[in-house]
Amino acid sequence: MAPLAALQATFLSALLFLGTDCGKALSEPSQLAPESLKVSINTSQQSLHVQWTVHGLAYDEELNMVFQIQISRMTTFNVIWVENYSTTVAWKQVLHWRWDSELPLECTTHFVRLRGMVVEEAGTPGPRPWSNWTSWEEVDAQKSLGPDWLFVFPEEKLVEEGSNVTICYVSRSHENNVSCSLESAPILGEQLSPNVSVITLNNVSFIRKTGTNFFCQMEQTHTVKGSVLFVSKVLEEPKGLSCETRDFKTLTCTWDPGTDTDLPNYRSQHYMLFEAFSGENKSCEHKDSCVWQVAPGSQETYNFTLVAENFFRKRSVNIAFDLAHRVRPMDPFSMSLKSVSATGATVTWKVHPVRDHFTHLCQVELHGEGKVIQHNVSVEKDGQRPFSELEPAMEYTARARCAAAEHFWKWSGWTGQDFRTLAAAPSEAPDVWRDVKSVLGSCNVTLFWKPLSKSHAHGEILFYNVAVESLHGPSGSKLFSIPAPAGGTEVALDGCSHRILVTANNSVGSSPAAMIVISGDPADKEAEEERVEPTEQGFSVSWKPPLEDVVGYVVDWCDRPEDAPCGLQWRRLGPNSTSAVIRSGAFRPGVRYHFRIYGISPQRRAFLLGKKTGYAQEEVPSDLPQVLVHNLTSHSFTLSWKDYATDSQPGFIRGYRVYLKSQAEQCQPEFQKTVLPDRSVGCQYEINDPEQKTLVMGDLQPESSYEFAVVPYTGAGEGALDAFTKVTMPDERSHVLIRIILPMVAGLVVIAILCYLKSRWMKEMCYPDIPDPYKSSVLSLLKPKEAAPLTIMSVNDCVPDALEVVKKPEGSKTPFPGARKAAPDTARIRPDYIYLLPTESSSGPCICFENLTYDQAAPNSGSCAHVLGPHEVPPSQLGLPTSAESLLKPLEQNYVNTPAEAPAGETTLNYVSQLASPVSGDKDLLPAKPPEPEPELCCEYRMQMALPLGLASPSLNESSNSSPTALLGQEYHG
Amino acid sequence: MDLRAGDSWGIIACLCTVLWHLPAVPALNRTGDPGPGPSIQKTYDLTRYLEHQLRTLAGTYLNYLGPPFNEPDFNPPRLGAETLPRATVNLEVWRSLNDKLRLTQNYEAYSHLLCHLRGLNRQAAAAELRRSLAHFCTSLQGLLGSIAGVMAALGYPLPQPLPGAEPAWAPGPAHSDFLQKMDDFWLLKELQTWLWRSAKDFNRLKKKMQPPAAAVTLHLEAHGF
Repeated sequence: MAPLAALQATFLSALLFLGTDCGKALSEPSQLAPESLKVSINTSQQSLHVQWTVHGLAYDEELNMVFQIQISRMTTFNVIWVENYSTTVAWKQVLHWRWDSELPLECTTHFVRLRGMVVEEAGTPGPRPWSNWTSWEEVDAQKSLGPDWLFVFPEEKLVEEGSNVTICYVSRSHENNVSCSLESAPILGEQLSPNVSVITLNNVSFIRKTGTNFFCQMEQTHTVKGSVLFVSKVLEEPKGLSCETRDFKTLTCTWDPGTDTDLPNYRSQHYMLFEAFSGENKSCEHKDSCVWQVAPGSQETYNFTLVAENFFRKRSVNIAFDLAHRVRPMDPFSMSLKSVSATGATVTWKVHPVRDHFTHLCQVELHGEGKVIQHNVSVEKDGQRPFSELEPAMEYTARARCAAAEHFWKWSGWTGQDFRTLAAAPSEAPDVWRDVKSVLGSCNVTLFWKPLSKSHAHGEILFYNVAVESLHGPSGSKLFSIPAPAGGTEVALDGCSHRILVTANNSVGSSPAAMIVISGDPADKEAEEERVEPTEQGFSVSWKPPLEDVVGYVVDWCDRPEDAPCGLQWRRLGPNSTSAVIRSGAFRPGVRYHFRIYGISPQRRAFLLGKKTGYAQEEVPSDLPQVLVHNLTSHSFTLSWKDYATDSQPGFIRGYRVYLKSQAEQCQPEFQKTVLPDRSVGCQYEINDPEQKTLVMGDLQPESSYEFAVVPYTGAGEGALDAFTKVTMPDERSHVLIRIILPMVAGLVVIAILCYLKSRWMKEMCYPDIPDPYKSSVLSLLKPKEAAPLTIMSVNDCVPDALEVVKKPEGSKTPFPGARKAAPDTARIRPDYIYLLPTESSSGPCICFENLTYDQAAPNSGSCAHVLGPHEVPPSQLGLPTSAESLLKPLEQNYVNTPAEAPAGETTLNYVSQLASPVSGDKDLLPAKPPEPEPELCCEYRMQMALPLGLASPSLNESSNSSPTALLGQEYHG
Repeated sequence: MDLRAGDSWGIIACLCTVLWHLPAVPALNRTGDPGPGPSIQKTYDLTRYLEHQLRTLAGTYLNYLGPPFNEPDFNPPRLGAETLPRATVNLEVWRSLNDKLRLTQNYEAYSHLLCHLRGLNRQAAAAELRRSLAHFCTSLQGLLGSIAGVMAALGYPLPQPLPGAEPAWAPGPAHSDFLQKMDDFWLLKELQTWLWRSAKDFNRLKKKMQPPAAAVTLHLEAHGF
């Protein structure tokens, strides 16, 4: 340890010696060392304010000194700034120095120290040494922060666009739980110390005038702190600085300031005007102009400097000029017109006085009908300029502006006045055309004329005079006056050869006459209408020059050919023309226009040269033809569309396309396979002749279905293929069948007619209502072998199966006598009713028609007489009177035998009726269990007999429950 | 219940008495003063209208301030806006408010908010925004007058005017620009909450001022009698 202690003692001794020596060497400058160093923070400017004094100066001594200032951040070793500050120092003077910090000063601690040195002057020997450093002065803004958890610095800052900005946040939380965002974008910082982070924003841009928001959030405490960066745009140099005077009293300087750099809370952009010769300056009220007062009669030349300034920049522009060369006179005034005639006028005006002997150069213009007449006039006080060769009755605008005549700078504004020249007689004849319709030797002429242009009308046209003179008849003319603004009139001519003169008249006079001659000759020979193709310019119409002399040509057409009136238009062409391009704004696509070309003879007679027709633009056909199918056979059919009007289509019909579809998708030889709009496959046949309107479709399959469509096409294409028509081919044998069936049907019809005509005979022959035993052939058929005469069959031939005697008491009479009561007819014996009775033996082949209406006129059979009395109406008749009555009438007429007709031996029995038809009654009246059907052989007349009453009673009782009478009674009462 | 003849006469006499006094019932007196009901209804309608109007205005103004103030989920702590009257209140406390206190709170709140809003109008740089704010201030002034009318109709005195005509709302050293924007944000938010609360307040008052249903029934019966 001893050697180490000795070494230590030696080192300390050396240090002490050196210190003493140095102290001696610096003892003199140390008297001028800085002292009383104080450092403060200006947070709004983010700057350190350093102040100190220099000790050791004599009372009246002033020295030039340089101070070296060091600034450290966080620790004294971390020197971030060294600057030499030179100044003159006086006795007891407090020196100040400012340092602007890029990093907000609140973010960390700063240290400042300095030393001084007297600057060597001329004649002073050698360099002076630096003084000692002052001790470090610490500045810690964080000490003054409040109790919050989070701070963001700077709180606000004004920066220029494109600059870099450093922001820091101070967190009092030990956890790193602070997130920061610039506007909406998260942004990460660089940790400066454990609780301080620094964020540097490079090249900041202007977003909005209310500033760019930067904010940080602490999660636990939900604290939000932020700052607003006010980004100012970069100040531009003023552009286009220009100064001028209008009256030699004030100078107005204007310029384009460029982008506005002001912000709502930071308004700093302003402009100053300096004049170098006078040394005066003026702060401008506006950002784009300044008014400078001209000193009267003194200064002629000016040298202006315009300085633009804001927080960050200062920019300037310079301009020098002679005042007399920057004169822009005031606008002229009191403009008026004098001596206005039909073709001339004089314009007068006044100018504002500028100063003595100042001459104005004035420009006077006259505008009318698209023309401009311009003159320059030198004016000292009042200006005047006559104008001639003007158009009569024309609106003109006169205007004038002035400038300095000697040193032209700029024109003043215009001052103007409108006026109108006086009217004159129209200078040209109206353009007249006609449409002639000849009717039986007379002509109806429709005259058309175009209104005269303003330049020819020379005033408002009031009326048109139309004079009509006959070419062949007695001299003399008819005059019509047509008030304007009519564009034509109709004239009926007696005979077609007339000359027509038309003049336009205004308030001053009449125009030259336009003459046309209407000829009685049929010179308008019918010319074939040729097609004309449109071009981009219009319809190009050409013609061959006629052999006759012509003075010109006229092409006319209708703008609205489908309307009446059709809007006749015409165009006149010179005698050397052989073509014309007709264009009109009224031409529409899909409308067919007709053009007629006339030559005009020297006698002003028009003769037709040719006709043209065309479409401005063809369109596809608007409607499809109605196609009919003819001659349908099993292998072919014919299509026909003869009613299709080709002329009324929106394009020239060039032909037709016939489409055919079939399930087989096989095309006939002359057809082409094609894909139809519905993407199905079909066959197409093209007809190139628009007048061919039929087509035979052959080689088709019997019993197949075909669909066809006929679509016309124009130059624009074919019409819409909307729907197909279906045709089903007939069977091959069907026509054979038809050949057989048709005659058969015809034959049947003939038979039916014959039957109808001979129905009565047929009825009597085949199915008489009541067979007449004397006439019935049935009986003869049944008994062919029996000998004639065929009379009433023998009772013995037919064995009765049943007898029915109906007993009707008085009380059971029907209550409808009033409705159905028949008038008593004692002269005639009337049948009461006939019952159809089944035979008892169901196996028997026959049924028997039993007539129970034989009046057995036994005086003692009072009950029977009562039952069978002629005045009683049976229930069946009550129920169905119509059928029963209709049934009874022929019986009465035909088959009621009078007693005189009755054969001998049967006088006691009166034959009344023999009802043979089983359908004599209404079907509804049949019993629920109808009798079993009988074979045809049973349609026989079995018996007509009179039965003793005693024999009939049992049968009556038996059948009382099953007889139709009982059923009817039940049905009726029910 | 056994009713005797004497009881029937008593009931008829009672009904007659009721009918005799019907015109004196204020709720049924159709020809007299309609009371504060219509003016409360008008105030309620105006509140709803302002609520709608503020929705548009706040959107425009917060866009003018920029993000994060115009973001829907931005909900900063209520730091610098302590001078603003709070609209949020405990539900029980709100229910227990009497009519006078309820109207007074509304009146005072809008008086404060109107002053702050005028400060906002002065700061706005955009001319269109200034016009919208001025229009809204006029409407809010109308609402204040309407509340004053309701209070007068109910016989309540108006609260004392504010001690200072204008609040210290201008930006100064105490307020950084960011805090100023926060204050603007809270002003609009508080205004929105107040308008929502006022709608509830006036709706409650409106229902309270409606004539009782039983009296109306009785009135109709009397006509049909």
